[in-house]
Amino acid sequence: MERGITVIPQLCTGCEQCALTCSFVHESVYAPSLSRVKVVKFADKCLNVPVTCAYCEQPVCEEVCPVQAITHDPITGAAKVAADICLGCKECVNACPLGAIELHPQKGIAMRCDLCGGDPSCVKQCPAGALRYEPLEHAVSEKRRARVVGWNLE
Amino acid sequence: MRKIVGDILHIDLSQGSWWREPVSKEMVRRYLGGRGINTRLLWDLVKPGTDPLGPENALIFGTGLLTGSGAPSSGRTTVTCLSPATNLYLKTSGGGHWGAELKYAGFGHLVIHGGAEHPVYLWIDGDSVEIHDASALWGLDVRATDSAIKKELRDENIETAIIGPAGENLVRFASVMFSVYNAAGRGGAGAVMGSKNLKAIAVRGSGTVVPAQPQRFQELVRQARASLAADSGYKDLGRYGTSGSLNSVNELRVLPSYNFKRSFLDDVYPLTGQNLTNSGYLKRRSACFSCIIACHRYSTVGRGSFAGAHAGGPEYETMSALGSGCGVIDTEAVIKANELCNIYGLDTISTGSVIQWAMESYEKDVIGSKELDGLDLRWGNGQAMVEMVQKIAFRQGFGDLLAEGVKRAAERTGGESYKWAVQAKGLEQSRVDTRSAKSYALAFAVNPRGSDHLHTEAFAEFGMSPEARQLIKKITGDEKYANPYLTEKRAEIVRWHEDCYSVTDALGFCAFATTALYGISPQIMAELFSAATGMEFTEEDILWAGRRILTQEKCYNVSLGADRKDDTLPWRLMHEPTPNQPDTTAINSKEELDGLLDEYYTLHEWDVNSGKPTKNILEKLDLADVAAELFKAGYIA
Repeated sequence: MERGITVIPQLCTGCEQCALTCSFVHESVYAPSLSRVKVVKFADKCLNVPVTCAYCEQPVCEEVCPVQAITHDPITGAAKVAADICLGCKECVNACPLGAIELHPQKGIAMRCDLCGGDPSCVKQCPAGALRYEPLEHAVSEKRRARVVGWNLE
Repeated sequence: MRKIVGDILHIDLSQGSWWREPVSKEMVRRYLGGRGINTRLLWDLVKPGTDPLGPENALIFGTGLLTGSGAPSSGRTTVTCLSPATNLYLKTSGGGHWGAELKYAGFGHLVIHGGAEHPVYLWIDGDSVEIHDASALWGLDVRATDSAIKKELRDENIETAIIGPAGENLVRFASVMFSVYNAAGRGGAGAVMGSKNLKAIAVRGSGTVVPAQPQRFQELVRQARASLAADSGYKDLGRYGTSGSLNSVNELRVLPSYNFKRSFLDDVYPLTGQNLTNSGYLKRRSACFSCIIACHRYSTVGRGSFAGAHAGGPEYETMSALGSGCGVIDTEAVIKANELCNIYGLDTISTGSVIQWAMESYEKDVIGSKELDGLDLRWGNGQAMVEMVQKIAFRQGFGDLLAEGVKRAAERTGGESYKWAVQAKGLEQSRVDTRSAKSYALAFAVNPRGSDHLHTEAFAEFGMSPEARQLIKKITGDEKYANPYLTEKRAEIVRWHEDCYSVTDALGFCAFATTALYGISPQIMAELFSAATGMEFTEEDILWAGRRILTQEKCYNVSLGADRKDDTLPWRLMHEPTPNQPDTTAINSKEELDGLLDEYYTLHEWDVNSGKPTKNILEKLDLADVAAELFKAGYIA
């Protein structure tokens, strides 16, 4: 997988535009409950952290699925849940250690981020720059640089 | 349309019952949503002669019509009731995430009737509505209550509307707090909630919001976002928050300081949003639901006597009310006082105002340290100010008098203390020196809820941005009227902003997106309304509906006996001039205000002598039923 969604929680304002656009793109309605990205809120500290599928290198949700309903594109990484195959057995929901996959409350099938096929809408609509779609190495190298910036080496 | 406006949830706390009422298409056509539908519900439900703090008053929550949709900055909720501060109409609005959550539970409006016998809180979980015992929560501050409810209901993502001790103690300027730090602050809605023994309303919703024309609506959302983000003030409002404007307001000589004795500070920087950001007090920016601006702050104090203070804000109004107004040019003291106002559930504007009044009374020896329980309440004493905030919330000592609001406090104190009680209609004035801002002066005087800016944010008259000057040109025909010292065309400017502000509140938008930044124009609001409801409205149609809402509110006050003499400004501003430029002074004289009022009533086609809407204009506005009631009661001819 070349690129992934990275989250910079310090920048998230908690506006939920990510969840609004996600539910609209996938369901044609506005409903954070139907969004594949969820904002975890700590209201007393005005702290908000968007959480979505981490696109694990070892996707346990796919591995535990008894009917192979969950797959991903080896190139873009975009996941797919085959609606006609999924049993709604919740094995994936239970297996995912990150809380990133859940059951669609109306359709009763697994609901997982699909990267909008390779151009994630949540990233495009985030007004704060808290969500990025980039090669993982970018995010890591930026963090590395941020860490040494304050060292006053000159 | 039900999927966008939601139903009305009625809860009778006296009976312990609840019922659902659909919103008719006719109601949406006439009153749009949010504040508009609220005002009609109040007119229908709360009749003249009602005690604001008795069970007959209704407490009405209205999410914006578009709240819960993707429309940017549309997440606001209006709270409407008879005000215990003014005994008149009150709408007060708050941000946060509570309104959207209520909408996802299927309800656009919530009406609280009656009162419970003992403390309760409401738990609205989608279709399920429960009244829970709140004895263990009574007395807790807002933050502790929020956390206790989330623990009890085992869900950290629940949204809450809460009153603090101030609301429980019926402080006449107690707020209702949403999502912990977002206040519906003005006019004492928190005291009304407290009078009903209602500590909190917890909500969880997993439903959907669906416009009548989803694809058209989403395209308009895209346009609205682009337009808002293109406004010249957009970036700075996010970067520095509302308090980012203290410096420019000070330069304009309209920053109320030392209880409106001055309108300028020599050293304003410690109170500015720029200082919050640059000195490390700002920990995070925070947004209301769906808002792309994110003007809300989260500030903390790391050291000194107020170390550990942390809360949402402080906002512009708070920095002025508790900072410049009290002469407390101390960032940390203001952050601490703001935190206490938030967690005790106090309106920061009124809290700062009553303390300023007490500081001036102390300076003038009208009250002494004995009345103040030894508190040295001199100008600039931040520690004493912080202690007084606490005394007000718990009605301890002199705080008990201040908890009545500055009008009643001055009446009971007597002498000349009314002269520095800066209020009109019983509401403490918000933080603009109207002596040097004539649209604001008119707007404040005619505001049905009292002397503040939140019916008509006429910021454009300062001409501070290209968009503001363009708007003034659109309203008056000439950019030269973007001049706050002029009295010409003020009625036109005020009326346009009234119309626009009513629509803003009805749809759930934030006024910062429509009348401070100007990205969400009435044209865009009309198109979003049309796509949301399937009823085609032009810009003209929607502003006309806005005027209907404002006029309906006005009529509520008329039904309570209010008339032209109530449309006035605080004594100090009408009798004591303030320097505005090095060699000139400004005042709101009676002659000047009378001239402005004459033009305003005439423009509205209201009766100039009484200041009341006429039968004729009410019928034109499709308010014939309202006219008939006012006629029957003898209030209009």
